[in-house]
Amino acid sequence: MIKAVMVMNTQGKTRLAKFYEYLSVEKQQELIRGVFAVLCSRAENVSNFIDAESIFGPDSCLVYKHFATLYFVFVFDSSENELAVLDLIQVFVETLDRCFKNVCELDIVFNYSKVHTILDEMIFGGQVVETSSSEIMKAVEEISKLEAASNAITLIPKSASGWRSR
Amino acid sequence: MHGMRGLSVFISEIRNCQNKEQERLRVDKELGNVRNRFKNEKVLTPYDKKKYVWKMLYIYMLGYDVDFGHMEAVSLISAPKYPEKQVGYIATSCLLNENHDFLRLAINTVRNDIIGRNETFQCLALTMVGNIGGRDFAESLAPDVQKLLLSSSCRPLVRKKAALCLLRLYRKNPDIVNVDGWADRMSQLLDERDLGVLTSSMSLLVALVSNNHEAYWSCLPKCVKTLERLARNQDIPQEYTYYGIPSPWLQVKTMRALQYFPTIEDPHTRRTLFEVLQRILMGTDVVKNVNKNNASHAVLFEALALVMHLDAEKEMMSQCVALLGKFIAVREPNIRYLGLENMTRMLMVTDVQEIIKRHQAQIITSLKDPDVSIRRRALDLLYGMCDVTNAKDIVEELLQYLSSADFTMREELSLKAAILAEKFAPDLSWYVDVILQLIDKAGDFISDDIWFRVVQFVTNNDDLQPYAAAKVKEYLDKSAVHETMVKVSAYILGEYSHLLARRPGCSPKEIFNLLHEKLPTVSTTTIPILLSAYAKILMHTQPPDQELQSQIWAIFNKYESCIDAEIQQRAVEYLALCQKGAALMDILAEMPKFPERKSSLIKRAEYSEADTAEQSAIKLRAQQQTSNALVVTDQHSANGATSPVPVGQLSLVKVPSMITTENDTSSDHTLSQQNGALSNVDPQPPSADLLSDILGPLAIEGPPDATVQSENNAASGLEGGSDAIDGSAIVPVEEQTNTVQPIGNIAERFHALCLKDSGVLYEDPYIQVGIKAEWRGHHGRLVLFLGNKNTAPLVSVQAIILPPAHLKMELSLVPDTIPPRAQVQCPLEVVNLRPSRDVAVLDFSYKFGTNMVNVKLRLPAVLNKFLQPIQVSAEEFFPQWRSFSGPPLKLQEVIRGIRPMPLPEMANLLNSFRIMICPGLDPNPNNLVASTTFYSDSKPAMLCLVRIETDPADRTQLRMTLASGDPTLTFELKEFIKEQLISIPTAPRAPAPAAAPPAAQPTPQIPPNDPAAILAGLLS
Repeated sequence: MIKAVMVMNTQGKTRLAKFYEYLSVEKQQELIRGVFAVLCSRAENVSNFIDAESIFGPDSCLVYKHFATLYFVFVFDSSENELAVLDLIQVFVETLDRCFKNVCELDIVFNYSKVHTILDEMIFGGQVVETSSSEIMKAVEEISKLEAASNAITLIPKSASGWRSR
Repeated sequence: MHGMRGLSVFISEIRNCQNKEQERLRVDKELGNVRNRFKNEKVLTPYDKKKYVWKMLYIYMLGYDVDFGHMEAVSLISAPKYPEKQVGYIATSCLLNENHDFLRLAINTVRNDIIGRNETFQCLALTMVGNIGGRDFAESLAPDVQKLLLSSSCRPLVRKKAALCLLRLYRKNPDIVNVDGWADRMSQLLDERDLGVLTSSMSLLVALVSNNHEAYWSCLPKCVKTLERLARNQDIPQEYTYYGIPSPWLQVKTMRALQYFPTIEDPHTRRTLFEVLQRILMGTDVVKNVNKNNASHAVLFEALALVMHLDAEKEMMSQCVALLGKFIAVREPNIRYLGLENMTRMLMVTDVQEIIKRHQAQIITSLKDPDVSIRRRALDLLYGMCDVTNAKDIVEELLQYLSSADFTMREELSLKAAILAEKFAPDLSWYVDVILQLIDKAGDFISDDIWFRVVQFVTNNDDLQPYAAAKVKEYLDKSAVHETMVKVSAYILGEYSHLLARRPGCSPKEIFNLLHEKLPTVSTTTIPILLSAYAKILMHTQPPDQELQSQIWAIFNKYESCIDAEIQQRAVEYLALCQKGAALMDILAEMPKFPERKSSLIKRAEYSEADTAEQSAIKLRAQQQTSNALVVTDQHSANGATSPVPVGQLSLVKVPSMITTENDTSSDHTLSQQNGALSNVDPQPPSADLLSDILGPLAIEGPPDATVQSENNAASGLEGGSDAIDGSAIVPVEEQTNTVQPIGNIAERFHALCLKDSGVLYEDPYIQVGIKAEWRGHHGRLVLFLGNKNTAPLVSVQAIILPPAHLKMELSLVPDTIPPRAQVQCPLEVVNLRPSRDVAVLDFSYKFGTNMVNVKLRLPAVLNKFLQPIQVSAEEFFPQWRSFSGPPLKLQEVIRGIRPMPLPEMANLLNSFRIMICPGLDPNPNNLVASTTFYSDSKPAMLCLVRIETDPADRTQLRMTLASGDPTLTFELKEFIKEQLISIPTAPRAPAPAAAPPAAQPTPQIPPNDPAAILAGLLS
């Protein structure tokens, strides 16, 4: 089972954190910090695995992928296949990319709720529920339509993302 | 959903905060705002609610506790419109946990959404339950969720969520899935064409079979079919093809499910599966595209795991190892990582260990990989693959790597090196070298366990002591010495530096100076060890050196007022002791040997291994394997004294304590004393028992006892027939070629085992044979413990039982090979058919190197083991005694040549053979009356009565009368007791007159109706 999904930038700012087992906020933050401390010291061109047991306790594995300014981190137990989870990160990122057209960190920051929805269509209670990026998109669009039916949509133009990013 | 302006503004404000403090202020302000808005809920539009909830979730993600709005979130679930309901479900599943009280309030609403017709509501409800549903949900919602999953009218979007929701509920309460009914449905679900639903269903199946595979056999062929369909890329929609590979996730999950079935019996299914696996194994290449590589190797590694699980033919296994060997050398770091990881898993399949060893060089190279994750895997693998043959190489590599290893890995590395050195040391001096190097290179990471252990080994092995002392001295000569090194050196030099005294630079004074130099650099925990070392050095200095003495006394004087209590106490005590002169010698004598015990290091390693128990198929399998395995590594029972074989995998110590304790206990019985004691028997004309004279001094009986043994035989032969119990006669002559000397006296061990039910039967430098027995009536269950004391396997192990005619014995299979430092248990069933004193023999042989060792050992399945003591009252005794009217049921014999012993000792002896003394039945204090029952398969329990009349004037003779309902039993038991009384040596010549009541003692007044008096009359 997948225990947690985290997205953080190279400065250690959390962009998304979803834990599939209940943990207190303090514990969540401690784990995120622990993961970042290891990730930021990793060189390029090394494996996508780090030792997770020292952070998450026994029977945990961690796979991450580094894209531009972001780390995508999945934590899971031995019932999952490491490389399959790595593929899943790829599907997640590809779906975000489809959704935001050349996704960048700011898309994820400002569309926090949408990123959540995408993740929920892909991982359900710690299990993979959908692996096809087009199926995920279909489901997300469906939800968007339902929301749009009741909301006045205020689109944030992409250019606005130039706001003094740090 | 995107396009909540308020949320975006809030996020950018947070982003603009210069520091954490500002961020906190902004967050607090926002939380106050949201709280206020929720209070006046009436004015909130669904849009507002949604906006605020997302703000709360954002704040929560930033690491702030959001401890309000829970009720609001839960109540939104029941809103009729989608936007509010959605917000309610999302907030509830993010902010609440399954034990939250509010959740229970929502169960009905959630259920209505699940059974309702609105699919979007169904999805929302399922998602929330699938994320945080607890036991309450499991009990009330499971049937509805099952219905959704099976419904043909539902869209795949809903059904795949229902499958995973059911999985969650099943985890919370396994009873919600009715195994009988559900197995068929599960099997039908696997026919699903939609790959999304199929993937979720497969995850559900994995959860179900991991708990109970038996119910789901019918799913097995379906899994194979699914895998075949995917592997052949038949009918796979484009959207489920990932970089050209048909759903790697589903392939992986399917193979995972298959690993929970212990085996595949149906030959057709098995063949199909192996074809598919073969195709995966052979058809996967490393390509340029990283994502394609990852996906294809995800499938490949899972296939490898499945092949390992299925116990494929050796050929296929070798193929797998070859593949892994290729992987650990590729450029792609992920593949290298997993290659090493899977090799480690593969070590559980014993057959392939040798093939894995071929890759040792490459694995050692991986210790230098730029990626620390890979280095860790390499370390794990080296640790796992280490055995006697490669321990030296591997441990030396680890030592070398230690200097350059990351700080984070050093502790683990040094611990592993220490464990391997201990487990597989080809010789002890090498072990000492390794540990000292470890302390030298990574002193900070050496726990006390490690240096305690090396001290134990040195203390317990005399020949190691000068070596270790010289070694630590070399280290002390270096300029910078770690404090742990000072501790070890101080201990070892204190104890053993006198052994070096003649070497240059090793005079007591020089050793003292060397140690004392370090004193200013060490902490208060080390000073006491140094003080003890000084005291010992001083004591060993012969002739006394006045200068050294005054120097050391001055130090003790100085520390007499030390603030640290331990140091102060030692200083005061040593000073006082030193002034006592000769008494010092006793108190400061060399430390006694440590009792053999299991290494706390290894215990720790095992503990941490057990700690990481995972429920993966591989781990489960590993557990199954150990539970079926014959080989147990260490058999210490809770009460160490009765432990059948004390030498576990770690018994590097040459003189296991068991031998000493055993001797201690047996001396309590005054039974299995040195046979040499027999020479104290009044000289009897040696009998012409040539056979025992020739065969007595056999190599396996141990040379120190050889001459004694023959005397023993001579002495025991005085009654004529060869002594069956002292069965040296059964050892054939050709075994003279044995060059292996047994440890301890075999005959003695056998005698001891006749009286107790567990202990060592035989021991030599290579093996220890222990025995543990349970006796019930005429049944006996013995377990032979064959413990290999070596770091190399013992081969051609054979154990053949040569049973006498009266015993039916069945020995379970004895393995041909005993792995290094392993112990094998072989149960032996015994049934007693008739009374007889014949003894069963174990013909035991093994090969070590070029030595073929063969010993014939008597098994302690002797007559007395089938006796049950019984206390008989006078009312029962006399009618019985009378009814056995004379020979052959009642036999009487005057026995001469009895080993003189006090009467109470004789009584104890009989009791120890389960022949129970009935005190008070015989009025003559020089007589003993005893009773017992004998069990055999042929007859019901037989009562046996014994009377022994001793002569206080001549303790070397007595008259024994034995009665039972079976002539053979009477005879055999009489002979048996006789043998015991004659052949039992006693160590010190007990002052007989003191123990035996003087004959002049006034005869007690016996009333006429005293049963004892009647008995006396009857007997005379």
